[in-house]
Amino acid sequence: MRLTATVNGASIAVEVAANARLVDVLRDALGLTGTKVGCAAGECGACTVLIDGRAVNACLVAAAQVEGRVVLTVEGLARGGELDRLQRKFVEMGAIQCGFCTPGLLMSATALLARVPHPSRAEIATAIAGNLCRCTGYAAIIEAIEAAADEAVAR
Amino acid sequence: MINSQSRHPLSRNRQSLGTKSLDDYDPGIVTGFKYVGGRYPASDAVRKAGGDLAFGSDMRFSGMVHAALLLSPHAHARILRIDAARARAVPEVLGVYSHFDAPATPYCRYRITPGQAGCVDDEPLFASTARFAGDRVAAVVATTRAAARAAVRAIDVEYEPLPAVLSAEAALAPSAPRIHPSGNLLHEYCVEFADPGADPADGVTIESTVSTQMLHHAALEPHLCFAEYDSAGKLTIWSPCQSVYGARTVVADLLGLPYHRVRVIKIPMGGSFGGKQEFILEPVTAYLAMRTRRPVSLILERDECIRATTVRPAQRSWLRSRVGRDGRLLSVEVDTLLAAGAYAGSSPDYAEAMAHKLTRLYRMPSYRHRGRVAYTTTPVAGGMRGWGAPDIATCAEVHLDQVAARLGIDPVALRLRNLVEPGDVDPVGGRGVGDARVRECLRRGAARFDWARRAACAPGHGRWRRGVGVACGAHKNGMLSDSFPDSTTMTLKMNEDGTLDLNAALHEVGAGSAVTLTTIIAEELDVAPERISTREADSESSPFDFGCFGSRMTYVGGAGARKLAAALKERLIANAASLLGLPIDLLSADCGRVSAPPSDGRSLEFAAIVRHARMRDGRDMIVTQTYSGKSNPGSYSVQFAEVEVDTWTGLARVTDFLSVVDIGRAINRLMVEGQCRGAVQAGVGSALCEEVILDEAGRTPGGGFKNYHLINAVDMPPVDVLLVEHDGDDGPFGAKSVGEIAFVPTAAAIVNAVNRALGTVLADLPLTPERILAALDGMAAVATVRTTCA
Repeated sequence: MRLTATVNGASIAVEVAANARLVDVLRDALGLTGTKVGCAAGECGACTVLIDGRAVNACLVAAAQVEGRVVLTVEGLARGGELDRLQRKFVEMGAIQCGFCTPGLLMSATALLARVPHPSRAEIATAIAGNLCRCTGYAAIIEAIEAAADEAVAR
Repeated sequence: MINSQSRHPLSRNRQSLGTKSLDDYDPGIVTGFKYVGGRYPASDAVRKAGGDLAFGSDMRFSGMVHAALLLSPHAHARILRIDAARARAVPEVLGVYSHFDAPATPYCRYRITPGQAGCVDDEPLFASTARFAGDRVAAVVATTRAAARAAVRAIDVEYEPLPAVLSAEAALAPSAPRIHPSGNLLHEYCVEFADPGADPADGVTIESTVSTQMLHHAALEPHLCFAEYDSAGKLTIWSPCQSVYGARTVVADLLGLPYHRVRVIKIPMGGSFGGKQEFILEPVTAYLAMRTRRPVSLILERDECIRATTVRPAQRSWLRSRVGRDGRLLSVEVDTLLAAGAYAGSSPDYAEAMAHKLTRLYRMPSYRHRGRVAYTTTPVAGGMRGWGAPDIATCAEVHLDQVAARLGIDPVALRLRNLVEPGDVDPVGGRGVGDARVRECLRRGAARFDWARRAACAPGHGRWRRGVGVACGAHKNGMLSDSFPDSTTMTLKMNEDGTLDLNAALHEVGAGSAVTLTTIIAEELDVAPERISTREADSESSPFDFGCFGSRMTYVGGAGARKLAAALKERLIANAASLLGLPIDLLSADCGRVSAPPSDGRSLEFAAIVRHARMRDGRDMIVTQTYSGKSNPGSYSVQFAEVEVDTWTGLARVTDFLSVVDIGRAINRLMVEGQCRGAVQAGVGSALCEEVILDEAGRTPGGGFKNYHLINAVDMPPVDVLLVEHDGDDGPFGAKSVGEIAFVPTAAAIVNAVNRALGTVLADLPLTPERILAALDGMAAVATVRTTCA
């Protein structure tokens, strides 16, 4: 099956198996291994990417579902080799320990801040409720997202 | 540098989820450090944020082939026949392997060094008798992962089911079926001492029975391994492991290879918590690489991680204390029964570790701890964060709350009456507890948590009941004991531009050990941390280190790094002395240069010294040292929890949490806080909702995280962290460990809070809604009887 879509701003066209999942297309066909597989069942959120701005679990999306759509992964966040504000806050504020959940969390946070530029703590927690983290206890992650929002709004 | 948290935005919204204010840093912390105590991200955080750090599952090897495992569906069964014809017929399949063609030599997945005590070699590469639902029966190697998995499903196995043995109690019953030829009692021990002057005849006797459950470590990254056996007979293994030298020992010994022809490379790890400490996939992956002569990739699915890697063991302990009316412990007896699962692994040592914690924490004239470890036809138990300390702390702290209730003494007051003091000697381990500041942790924590007021609040009789709980815990700092000299070898070299390379067998598990070491070296040499590079462990090029476990990384590794940096500094000064023609004792090193006294005014940059030494004198700025651990003091944490229980649904929520750690000195405050907060996520889960549940046939339910409940961001309580820093003992700049101790008393504090809220004596974890409702129903029934008898 031939799949065409926009991934991280670039038009792509790849041949994929009919039963391929979006996460397989990203990781294998496109070599974008930033999106991780933690459970392959939509429970952990490690595979979170954005489709047309909405956060989804790429392990539960059939490749065919992104035909003609716009996909954003963690590799699409940095600009000109520079980490974006959210990524920088994650780094600076201890939101990253083992790093396996990080790409998925960045994508959930990106989707949130695009919709809700100044979220409350509760809104942040709800937005990342589907992203499991075993290392940080979530606090530093929530702080980092809040700090990125504060800085963006201040500009 | 240290902390600008006083007006941190955290503090503004106490009602919502998130952390409480880190406002009141102890004004007594005066560090005078340039780098130690700062806030540094993990060394690879930038690459993790960008998604370009390759974890194992992101790596692609030329010619890579894929393995998949056939795991036993039966908890106990003889494997009579394996028909792989249909599997072999799958075009992409290269081979199918089982006990019929693999070496039968059993090994121990826990072994680090040859001749290591406490290692039982009882695990084969592939079972001829399946001993748990998840045991390796066969493996397929194919050119695609999908084909390998499809081929696994096409293997026909004829089993002769045997009776399952699903608990340690059942295993030790007289008529229990034998799981191993040696019998079901894997290990037994008794540790005891009694102060000859003590007279435990006085006082009150209280007994409790407390059980902790099988847990899944739940690192987000599934278990995996790569291996390649080349045409020259060299085996290379890539694994997110906690000891490359240990993996080498187990695999080389099993496959009959010399150590210098086995190279183990530690690759980035997406979490472990002990689940990747034992060598679970390395032996079978290496074997498949040798058979196929192709680079083999084995990556498990989540269900396979839950059932077929390692679990924290289930254990039950009976405790009996004799306590004076004033609350002083007179004697403590414990009897522990622990289920090892199908293979011994680390369980004998793990169970013994449980007996070496309480006397580090509390003074008691008499202590007796008997332990038995039984084989069971259940998932293989292994080390998990805290390694027995959380298990015994849960038992002891729940027990102590029952003691407190019986005597009418406040739980904090009871513990204050018994906690160790700095300089005490642990009579079981025979070593000093060191600069044990656990009393201060409890006093300051109780004040900060407002314990007195909150504990005095009545839980109420309505639908929602609130309660607070406290728990103390002790652990250790490294592996040093009478039978284990803990040491590490490291090399530090300075480049011509003054930057440095540290060569040490580092195993980054996500807790930031690399940045801890660079911070320590930076402080000692007065060189910016970003000018020091590190690399992860490679058995071929790293000097020897036992690995990342046992809370040894900062206390032993960090102390070693400090001494190493000091040695390099001496060498720089000696070379500068020669270059400047001055006596060594007139020179000082700081800010990246060696300086003569002000009267002289000359100085040499480190970089210049390196260049001159090399080109003029043929000398090199490189030092290698083996550092031996000097002591193994206690590490301590005191934790406070507030819970709210919905008595209609039985659902308990942790609404507030304070973690106090006697850390000696926080080297990297950012990561230390991260360890403390992260531990609470796991602690809440282990107290309330996590459990690897087996059905009556000994099988896990499948469904991954759907049937294994992890606490998410919405369910997390705010976590306040208080670090007590007194710089004692032999750690680098006074530092002690944090990663494990932060998890030791966590579940206990929560259980104690629930019991206080409800007036129950729940003692079997997790405190699920079903268990809470049953306990409330039981109390209601008693109350009804009392009313009718009135």
